[in-house]
Amino acid sequence: MWGTLSKPQTKIVTSSARGRWAVRFRKLSNYLFVLPMMIYLSATMAYPIYVNLDMSLHDLNVRTFRSGDAPYIKFDNYKKLINDPGFRHAAGRSLTFTTISLGFQFLIGFSLALFFNRPFPLNGLLRALLLLAWLMPAVVGGTLFRWMADGDYGVFNYFLQSIGLGRYKDYWLLNPDTALAGTIIANVWVGAPFHMILLYAGLQNIPTTLYEAASIDGAGAIQRFIRITLPMMRPVMLGVLLLGFIYTFKVFELIFVMTGGGPVDATTVLPIHIYRLTFAFFRFGEGAASAIMLLLGLLLLAIGYAQLIHAEEAA
Amino acid sequence: MKQGSFWRNGYHRTLIGVIFTLIYLFPVYWMIATSFKSAGEIFDIPPKLIPIPPHFGAYSSEVLHNPELIDVFVNSVVISLGTMILTLVLAVPGTYGLARLKLRGGGMILLLLLISQLLPSIVIAGPLFVTFNRIGLLNSYWGLILADTTITLPFAVIILRPFFLAVPGDLEAAARVDGCSQFGVLWRIAIPYVRPGIITVAALSFLMTWGEFVFALSLNTRDHQPITIALNTFIGQYGTFWNNLMAVSTVAALPIILIFASLQRFIIGGLTTGAVKE
Repeated sequence: MWGTLSKPQTKIVTSSARGRWAVRFRKLSNYLFVLPMMIYLSATMAYPIYVNLDMSLHDLNVRTFRSGDAPYIKFDNYKKLINDPGFRHAAGRSLTFTTISLGFQFLIGFSLALFFNRPFPLNGLLRALLLLAWLMPAVVGGTLFRWMADGDYGVFNYFLQSIGLGRYKDYWLLNPDTALAGTIIANVWVGAPFHMILLYAGLQNIPTTLYEAASIDGAGAIQRFIRITLPMMRPVMLGVLLLGFIYTFKVFELIFVMTGGGPVDATTVLPIHIYRLTFAFFRFGEGAASAIMLLLGLLLLAIGYAQLIHAEEAA
Repeated sequence: MKQGSFWRNGYHRTLIGVIFTLIYLFPVYWMIATSFKSAGEIFDIPPKLIPIPPHFGAYSSEVLHNPELIDVFVNSVVISLGTMILTLVLAVPGTYGLARLKLRGGGMILLLLLISQLLPSIVIAGPLFVTFNRIGLLNSYWGLILADTTITLPFAVIILRPFFLAVPGDLEAAARVDGCSQFGVLWRIAIPYVRPGIITVAALSFLMTWGEFVFALSLNTRDHQPITIALNTFIGQYGTFWNNLMAVSTVAALPIILIFASLQRFIIGGLTTGAVKE
């Protein structure tokens, strides 16, 4: 998806000493372009990661936060977390939420991309309209789904009733058995159009001559899909899945607004868990440790992806 | 004959597409429809699918005559515009440097940016809270603008990079020969060339910041709160007055819909260029 880094370059050959200095000066001054960005990134990303690491190695709670003498406790926070049923529960919820969401987002997104891949009137407009779901502020989307899933006056229950499934009516977000499903449905609604847009762009990049040649050789639609579309789309599909996994794993506000992590922790995914540890219980040390573990997990995933792409490019 | 052209022109696909899109966007319709109902009508069983006659009570009490909502709306505009400007100021020269100038360590910077995409906001929010607390940036516009840019900047670089890579080298070289400084090349040649990319980044930065919630929730707990936080607070306060909540939601979504409607060509084009090409 974001392939190798290659830059066009022009080599300026100079012989005089003055010329060489001028070139060196210009090379240095070139860094001025990226300097502001670098300073900003160090201050707001690298430094917070460092602070997180540091906090995760100290016994940092309300008391020691005020006094500023939190003792260094090595990996105790991490050990505590790994043995903490709350953390394990949150990690499990995150995995469930992410894999199911991602599966549906991808399937729906891919189906839509295939549907839109043929030209027809209003094609572009409809694609754009669908993307509106993705652009809605998550808080708005969450509030909206909360209203639709309302047990007494929600429109979901009304639809169930009107198609004769009234017995399945439920207080969707208040019932621990259905709350996670409710948040997943909302999240799929938000994310599927984004998958569609990226996958559609991938489909458009497949040369049509490939399909024409296959048709001449007598390949049917299913054959063409399996033999051409899937292999050609492999890199794009992997990229979209990776990006989708990361974005879904990070989802916080949608769940926060819909259920606040409840009922009884049914929707407490890792980001919600970290938020609670840090900003509700002020267990900064453990909050930071779970943040680092979350980051490491996603990093491993990204490295695995990079390896995979690299191996394929080399082959 | 008529049937034939219907199929050949793909009108059957248009029909399926329109029906699907209408169903898919039903939640958005339901938000707007609910906002035009009276307090009594939201408890109707079966619910009224079309709010006729429309009631404007929710808008009148919660929006027009609610100074608090106007306040948070203005806050959101200031924060989103600020983040948009900061993102452009950092990302445009930065991406130009990464894409066009032979910088040692440029690959590392790009890698860092990609990794920063992995960071959930909540991971950065904790340390930023500690730091901002120390330097007095909590509950301020600046603090939130600085925080929100962590989300938009990596995105901006990823989207802008392919645009800058596509600037013809000849154009740049010609400008250099004419005595343009490197900055002059960026300003006079590259920026005009990548204008669609810049519009994409500006629009997306604004849209992403407008919907931002985590930083606002953790850093601006008292002052200068954006509309997303206000909406979340309303949920607690209003409980079941869904017409009021949906009116506020609609107002919160309105700028998104307007910006998207006017710039959708750039937004979709930019997203797909950045993501797929190269």
